[in-house]
Amino acid sequence: MSSYQFDLSIITNGKFAQMLVDGLITTIQLSSVSCVLAFIIGLNIAVMRLTSFTPIRIFAQCYLEFFRNTPLIVQLFFWYFGSFQILPTFINDWLNNLNFEFAAAVIALTFYTSAFIAEDIRSGILAIPKEQMEASRSSGFSYIRSMHYIILPQAVRLTIPPLINQFLNLAKNSSMAMVIGVGELTYQARQIESQSFKSFEAFFAATFIYVCISFIISGIINIYDKKVLNPMGKGTH
Amino acid sequence: MKNFSRRIVISLISAIPLLSIISVSKADVAEIKKKNVLVVGVKDSLYPFGFINEKSRTLEGYDIDFAKNIADKLGVKLELKPVTSANRIPLLSEGNVDLLACTMTITPERAQQINFSYPYFVSKQKFIVKKGTIKSLKDLENKKIGTTKGSTSEINVAKAIPSAKVLSFDDYPQAFLALQQGKVAAITTDESILAGILSKATKKEDYELPTFDISKEPYGLGVNKQNPELLKIVNQTILEMEKNGKAAETFNKWFGPKSSVPLTRDFKISP
Repeated sequence: MSSYQFDLSIITNGKFAQMLVDGLITTIQLSSVSCVLAFIIGLNIAVMRLTSFTPIRIFAQCYLEFFRNTPLIVQLFFWYFGSFQILPTFINDWLNNLNFEFAAAVIALTFYTSAFIAEDIRSGILAIPKEQMEASRSSGFSYIRSMHYIILPQAVRLTIPPLINQFLNLAKNSSMAMVIGVGELTYQARQIESQSFKSFEAFFAATFIYVCISFIISGIINIYDKKVLNPMGKGTH
Repeated sequence: MKNFSRRIVISLISAIPLLSIISVSKADVAEIKKKNVLVVGVKDSLYPFGFINEKSRTLEGYDIDFAKNIADKLGVKLELKPVTSANRIPLLSEGNVDLLACTMTITPERAQQINFSYPYFVSKQKFIVKKGTIKSLKDLENKKIGTTKGSTSEINVAKAIPSAKVLSFDDYPQAFLALQQGKVAAITTDESILAGILSKATKKEDYELPTFDISKEPYGLGVNKQNPELLKIVNQTILEMEKNGKAAETFNKWFGPKSSVPLTRDFKISP
């Protein structure tokens, strides 16, 4: 058995290459849609968590604790199989005719990641001296506007390093969607393995692609940080 | 000197497997009759082909009933030896068992190493669908079909219905849940597994197994290539069982309407 024939050609052309490309496209779609949605929701939850209005603060707290403290795989099954019990029949029928596997995966990944992003952004907001908020409020800005114009732009910049972590985790966590039959990269690698028995080649390719995706994500965010958020090289950090 | 004696011991130990092959005599039919025992390799945990009955603590099943009939035909006692899918062919070629009755699919690769009897069981890949929704294979085109990851069923269905979208789950209960919730139009795998799923399902009257299939896997009894005489007797026995109704009776005993895996018998044992 030691004379294993490592044969990369099996995954660089033909049917299996096509499967890997399909998987890559699905992984990118899944991660990028969830990434944008998770950032927007996370930002809002972070702000809600810091308001003085108690019901909203408690809601945000519950949201965080719930989505942060349950395993992603459980959330995937919950949205995919569990939602059937809650929703009315005609909505279920409508969803089943669409690509509901993909939608359920996006929902689960978005909620799960947004909870972590919210906590990162909250710590960024808390790092801004509270005098800034007091100053902008006394200059006549409302709470929301102070957040929007004064606090958040600085807080998000501070949060860039942990945010990169969250987006990298998101891209990798998207592989979990295979349990509900979403044809992303890991799913396709497993398909190739079971059809060709070439496990090493299949997972070598998948690993390589994941590493590339991760490099690209952290590269893009770093460039955005340097060129757009902090062009003079003298930011708050 | 010490080194030398150690070398002898090691070479003796490594020769033990070799010796065991030599010591097993070529088991032809005369030899089996002389020993007065037919050794048959069977599965011991695969309901209802070969499994241990919890009450009587003995091996029972569809495969074992066939083994019994062949031993009776030879007029010798029957000895059952549990085997696995991985070790069964080596055990047969080395003469540790005379016959294999263990849900073995007849394949060209295996037929190069051992002789197969005529098929005594045909396992088919079928579907479970919601009652009345799917009438033929055509109705499944462009539909979502559930199965499990890594199974041959997955490859078969992709070949048989290329336009269908195959959703592979980790386990059969999940695939069946997806069918119940309308997320897939059908689930597919071996008929006997499907019948098992269906018999355990709640509201089983809402589902059915349509009669069409996408692949057939004939099971054969395995005989050593050195023993063509035994193969002849095995084939003769199972053909007789077909003729006098014993084969159908055995099928009904394990797969009849009252069993937990009810199947229909649409094959006949024939050359």
